[in-house]
Amino acid sequence: MIAERLQQALDRGINRIGELIILRDVADSAFALCHIDDKDRLDELEIHRGAGAARDLSTWAEDGHYRFTKGELSLKKGWMLLLTDLNELRQALDLFYPAALGVWIAQEDGTLEVQHLRDKLGRQTGMYKFAKGISDAGAQRLVREVCGPGNCCVKKILWQLDADTPLEDSEASRFDGTLGEPARSIPLLCREACNHFVAECRKASKAEFEAAGAAKG
Amino acid sequence: MPSKPDTALLIVGHGSTENPDSSTPYFDHADEIRSRGVFSEVHCCFWKEEPSMREARYMIDADEVYVVPDFISEGYFTQEIIPRELGLDGPTTEHHGKTWHYTLPVGVHSSMTGLLLRRAKDVAPDVDPSEITLFIVGHGTGLNQNSTKAIRDQAEAIKASGAGYAEVLDAYMEEQPFIADWDKLSKTDHVVVVPFFIADGLHSYQDIPVLLGFEKDEGEAASQREVFRNNPYHLRGKTLYYSSAIGTERHMADVILDQVADFDSKHLS
Ligand code: SF4
Repeated sequence: MIAERLQQALDRGINRIGELIILRDVADSAFALCHIDDKDRLDELEIHRGAGAARDLSTWAEDGHYRFTKGELSLKKGWMLLLTDLNELRQALDLFYPAALGVWIAQEDGTLEVQHLRDKLGRQTGMYKFAKGISDAGAQRLVREVCGPGNCCVKKILWQLDADTPLEDSEASRFDGTLGEPARSIPLLCREACNHFVAECRKASKAEFEAAGAAKG
Repeated sequence: MPSKPDTALLIVGHGSTENPDSSTPYFDHADEIRSRGVFSEVHCCFWKEEPSMREARYMIDADEVYVVPDFISEGYFTQEIIPRELGLDGPTTEHHGKTWHYTLPVGVHSSMTGLLLRRAKDVAPDVDPSEITLFIVGHGTGLNQNSTKAIRDQAEAIKASGAGYAEVLDAYMEEQPFIADWDKLSKTDHVVVVPFFIADGLHSYQDIPVLLGFEKDEGEAASQREVFRNNPYHLRGKTLYYSSAIGTERHMADVILDQVADFDSKHLS
């Protein structure tokens, strides 16, 4: 059970996931969440209650842009979310980092199925169908330019280009999905390229196509 | 609906990389159903947002899952993409150690008619239906004949319901009859327009208002929800009441549960 596994992880001292820190027994609540950077100023934080508030807290970045990629390193600061029980905590975590907890548990259990990039691109619809035209070299370059904390993503990439083509070594491909204290963190795992990456593949694929056309003259 | 204690509900939506409002209704419907305690778990997953359909199963503890497409009609997404992504091959599929029940999309359920009537009443509470032409508006492209059929069916059902509207018409953004011609299509002075979409987004914030004539076709959809607050609009010699997308109605939660109940009586009894 996911909630029980979460409890066991908390009992082992795990208290971080992405940019969040999980606090226990805060005020009248069993759990609380806040931004890691806020952990030493709890008294100053604006209080929110209930798992449902997690969606609002995670939708917009400080500068007002829409965080549609939830692993983006841009979580707002200045708030604390109080949660009454383990189930609420689990629900809130699924809103901040969708499916991250379950994906991590499956990874620990060895049951996680990873979707490689070519498979992901091959399943796109509409205008995103063009994304699959990207070259291997182009895709490898995009990993360096789109993924990893250097590009504001907190996820550890598990996929390859395809089953036989691993990612080239880079800061992004090496990143472990935690922000300090890996032993106390649930890593954020990227088991399939996100829609932001797919959109970048589409752009790059179009650029490659146009460059090839121009070269032919 | 009787409670299903060891069963999960998975609501599937399209989602958007541009606008969080397009997934808000799905989360609202999930919250509403969660609060009723029918299922042991309620989750959402999306095509264009996280969690993806393929990640969804990792969030679910229950061995039995009802998958409800929170879509307006049957079509490419409900018949191809969702089954492919979730690995479903019929009404009930055993897969990944779970039993998956796949219901019809919410938009084709007969209880949508009641929702449309409620919304039409809410948006113009002081006008007698006998003085109103009610438009149900869809996208319409020819790509998905089912979506125009779903809307036409609803218009017919409202006519037959005895709600007393002077006229009930289906109209579309991109095919005949065009919603842009609403003033010519309607014989009454009062007109109510309800977009038949699950979520508010560019279509309901901007595209349809431009076609109706009370928003300009430029810039971003800055007015967003304001377009629904400025009712009624006096233009083209008529009085127009414009509603937000039907899927934002709180009672959509009931339609989701109705779709699950229908599935049970059709496939599991
Ligand atoms: S594809 Fe790259 S940018 Fe997108 S979530 Fe995965 S690691 Fe982050």
